[in-house]
Amino acid sequence: MTTATPVIEVKNLTKRYRDTLAVDDVSFTIEKDTIYGLLGRNGAGKTTVMSILTAQNFATSGDVRVFGERPYENARVLERLCFVRESQKYPDDALAKHAFGAARLFFRNWNEELARQLIEDFQLPMKTRIKKMSRGQLSAVGVIIGLAARAEITFFDEPYLGLDAVARQIFYDRLLEDYTEHPRTVILSSHLIDEVANIIERVLVIDRGRIIMNEETDAVRNRAANIVGDANAVDTFVRGREVLHRESLGHVASVTVLGALTAEDRERLAAAGLDVAPVSLQQLIVRTTQHAAARAAASDEGALR
Amino acid sequence: MIEEGRALFLQIAESVEDAIIDGSLAEEAQAPSTNELAAFYRINPATAAKGVAMLADKGVLYKRRGIGMFVAPGARELLLRERRAAFADRFVDPLLAEARKLGLTPDDLAQLVRDRASAPAATTEGNVR
Amino acid sequence: MNRTVNVVRMQLINKQTFVWVPLIVLGASFAMSIAIYAVLYNAGIPGPFYGGGSQAPLWVLLFVGVSSLTLTFPFSQAMSVTRREFFFGTMLAAAMCAVILAAVFAIGGMVEDATNGWGINGYFFALDWVVASGPLGAAFFYFVMAMLIFMLGFWSATIYKRFGATLLTTIWVGIGVLMILGFWAIGSFDAWVEMFTWFAELGAVGFAAWGLLLTVVLGGISYLTLRRTVP
Repeated sequence: MTTATPVIEVKNLTKRYRDTLAVDDVSFTIEKDTIYGLLGRNGAGKTTVMSILTAQNFATSGDVRVFGERPYENARVLERLCFVRESQKYPDDALAKHAFGAARLFFRNWNEELARQLIEDFQLPMKTRIKKMSRGQLSAVGVIIGLAARAEITFFDEPYLGLDAVARQIFYDRLLEDYTEHPRTVILSSHLIDEVANIIERVLVIDRGRIIMNEETDAVRNRAANIVGDANAVDTFVRGREVLHRESLGHVASVTVLGALTAEDRERLAAAGLDVAPVSLQQLIVRTTQHAAARAAASDEGALR
Repeated sequence: MIEEGRALFLQIAESVEDAIIDGSLAEEAQAPSTNELAAFYRINPATAAKGVAMLADKGVLYKRRGIGMFVAPGARELLLRERRAAFADRFVDPLLAEARKLGLTPDDLAQLVRDRASAPAATTEGNVR
Repeated sequence: MNRTVNVVRMQLINKQTFVWVPLIVLGASFAMSIAIYAVLYNAGIPGPFYGGGSQAPLWVLLFVGVSSLTLTFPFSQAMSVTRREFFFGTMLAAAMCAVILAAVFAIGGMVEDATNGWGINGYFFALDWVVASGPLGAAFFYFVMAMLIFMLGFWSATIYKRFGATLLTTIWVGIGVLMILGFWAIGSFDAWVEMFTWFAELGAVGFAAWGLLLTVVLGGISYLTLRRTVP
């Protein structure tokens, strides 16, 4: 349908701190006008990756191209990007209007009308110094900048952590609305996966510096199922399949199994008296991450022996 | 409305199909636009577009250039045929499985179906979805 | 509008840092100095009075230099500004500040000259040695001093941000040690007279030229350090 244009190309990106490997040989491509979810646990490497893409941090090795060029000290590229961080530092004396005023100077697509509407939506106090704002208000400032800047590539690094559920919903709604009218590339990092599941088109899961999933959201949605019932029957069914997670209580076992279920499978399950429950995107990603971690630990142990 | 564990674009397509089948979206009527669907379900417009595209590929919707997507003539028939074929898989098989668990024979089932079908209108009204 | 120039406007968001504190310190030290001179004059002491008060607004620039980095650099990164744009924009803001300060001092010096020290033979702006070079020379001198002190603050803050407090402290201690060694060397060669003569011959403008060189060197180091600094 639409020809895919890569706007970001990352090849073998590695970031090493003194004794930790924060980003480990990561490669991926970001397509134009798509909303990506960059998902992973705290400390998985999401912020590091985004910082390197926006030239705020530096790679140890590997190649990063944004709009075909290296972003480091490249004003031509950087002015088309916007990185909204989780805890952003603002100039000491700044009021919200100073931050937005500065944003208007530097982001060429800045829309004042949208900013005004968002200020109202988030009920942002315009007379309070930013350093005196609450966590939620501080997050709102960042979110408003990110949305109203309408930068061609916008990164949101869990900026809505201080926002309550209502404010978060406002953010998702406004993001979708504005994205629909003014398509752009958005990379949203979050650990509230189920909240953003319907917004993101592609899922990039990063765990301990490695990308463990890079797929279309819809493709992943029916990737797993929860089989619940008599432990023996369950184990018989899941033989030969990849099991992500197993729980049991007495005779009853609940197993998360990888692989879409065919009609035949469903017949077998019904015949065996087993229940099938859908697996939410969050559950799937959590289980996949844990599974990958367990596998890594096992292979580490093997290597140590 | 939106279920877990199933591709979103399929669910969107299905909701449009449901409307066509129950008659609320007539043939040759304009289908909801991608943006309208996205806004209503609070999902990414690209996902909604995928669902609409799938329906177009299937022949359920067609595009009138410059105006939008419309319900194709014969769409309802097409969908009914499709759903009837899937009906046995989706509804009858689970019914039989559950009946087996409870020790009901197919004949018992048939009788139940006939009974319920001819029950007075008052009891069935409560089951309207 | 040019992005680098817009950095100036970004720095000026912190009005307290760039405008109010320097102005208040300037005003307060001036007022206090004159007040003290007035008391002394009225007590019968003829003067002329020179004090260290006029240094205060210059040393404030150390604080301004530090703040211009610590308070604004992280935000500039959020505004997708390059480190080069930030550096030159900040230097431009500093230069504007220094020009205004230099003008105030130069004009103040001329007024003091004309009024014989505000009528009480007290001098705040017009340091003998500096005024000897004329108002333009004085202006150049104060401009460079302002920039140099600002740069000391900016440079220190950059080192701190990039390498941490330990290295910064070590560097300053090292500089202190070098200066002490320098004074000891001058002392052991009994070269004090030569040193003061050299200064006097250099004049304010010559001294300022050396200061300018030092400013540029520190600027270069700051820029290179900044290039690898994370907000």
